Amino acid sequence: MTDEAVFAPVRALAEGVRTRRLSPVALAELFLERLERLGPRYNAVVTLTRDRALAEARRAEREIGAGRYRGPLHGIPYGAKDLLATAGGIPTTWGAAPLRRQTFDFDATVIRKLEEAGAVLVAKLAMVELAGGMGYRQPHASFTGPGITPWNPGAWSGGSSSGSGSAVAAGLVPFAIGSETWGSILSPAANCGITGLRPTYGRVSRHGAMALSWTLDKLGPLGLTADDCGLVLAAIAGRDPADPTAADRPVRYDDRPVSGRRFRFGVLAGVTEGCEPGVVASFERSLDVLRAIGTVEDVRLPDLPYEIITRTILLVEAASAFEDLVEDGTIAELTAPEDRYGAYARDTILAKDYVKALRLRSVMAREIDGVLARLDALVAPARATVATPLDREFRSAVGGAAADPMGAIGNGAGLPALAVPNGFSDAGLPTSLQFMGRAWEENTIVAAARAYQSLTDWHLRHPVVD
Amino acid sequence: MPERAEAEAEALFALVRARYGERLTEAQLAELRGIVASTVERARALRAIRLKNSDEPAQPFAPFRADA
Repeated sequence: MTDEAVFAPVRALAEGVRTRRLSPVALAELFLERLERLGPRYNAVVTLTRDRALAEARRAEREIGAGRYRGPLHGIPYGAKDLLATAGGIPTTWGAAPLRRQTFDFDATVIRKLEEAGAVLVAKLAMVELAGGMGYRQPHASFTGPGITPWNPGAWSGGSSSGSGSAVAAGLVPFAIGSETWGSILSPAANCGITGLRPTYGRVSRHGAMALSWTLDKLGPLGLTADDCGLVLAAIAGRDPADPTAADRPVRYDDRPVSGRRFRFGVLAGVTEGCEPGVVASFERSLDVLRAIGTVEDVRLPDLPYEIITRTILLVEAASAFEDLVEDGTIAELTAPEDRYGAYARDTILAKDYVKALRLRSVMAREIDGVLARLDALVAPARATVATPLDREFRSAVGGAAADPMGAIGNGAGLPALAVPNGFSDAGLPTSLQFMGRAWEENTIVAAARAYQSLTDWHLRHPVVD
Repeated sequence: MPERAEAEAEALFALVRARYGERLTEAQLAELRGIVASTVERARALRAIRLKNSDEPAQPFAPFRADA
């Protein structure tokens, strides 16, 4: 089974499970073995959920054997970022040393929805402590060690959904759930050479997920293909009485063939400024591919301090979300030295300035919607750099050390975005292309990414791990 | 940074020192002084933009009823 199942897209695994060619129990055992054997190499795993996985897999096998097939995630193993609450005594550590024994007595809504879809939880995956909420500047910011990309043992996996990225890229799980406040799905997708989908804010319930910033946090899938991300999103999206921001909007994955479909793409002026040459080269090659499936036009936005708007909101909400850990000094036990004191400065952001950022957020949202109303997606490099060395500080937009207008606008306005691999640097590290769409247009950006992946093979390349 | 902004940054940094100074080393305090200065710079950028009275915050408030 190994050759067939490892690095197989969810859709292919699902067909094998549906036709009973693949056994859910054997799949769970296969990926549990890989997580146990290979997970430590990438610091990808916090907790193997073996007992729960085998129970869920046996149930799936029974149901499918009895003709009760639930859909494409039935019997498919997955991993969850360790900020999603899980019942049954399974720790939920938020990546933070002082919380390594934290448990909850309920499942996050996303975990529950995946269970209802028949998916099999095999692991809680590593993450940057508190999802980067204390302002980390380098990869050594988790009690499980720095996340490592499977493409290079000396390079960072990205974060904060570090294990969600590396585990998918190394074939340790078919898909994973991550979260993004600003960059935490797109960054590991880019550094690990996989596909990651950040849904519209409110598309997926946040109930049971660690709060970093209530108005910026989103949960979404990381997988091998855009199609897989569409399948997973359909299972986790939707209304939830436990999260009033979870939208009651129709959720149905449009997986009709994209062959022959034409798209309208836009590129923000100056969006590659500050990007590494390898990233720019991959992006320019991608634009040539996109011109084969649509039009590409230059786009300008009004001059607003987009990054300052989103950063101000994030820092203030994080200061409040983690007030207890900051005030009682628990942050001194965190792994990254800079995470142990940087948050103290957030007390100096004045309430009036926070509200001003919220008012400017409305302006930003209107402006970008005006642009996206006549486009299918804005495209840009998902990250300005390839994976950086483990022993080096990275350039962070959240910390103000790098420009990231797409991240600031996309997250600030709550827009969906999807990152796909689009090449390699001279050093053999993946580069990534992002598609950012209008609010609630996940189907459109997934379709555009599927069209791109139908013409390229970057998503079919995998690191040598065995 | 203009003189008034510097004064604001120093006043805000004094707040950090008063609240948390006893937990922090001089090196950490020095770094926090720089972070506070950046905070004031960001605030100045936000304050420089004029908005209309009708420009509301993006965050909605909804009255609560348990039976709604």
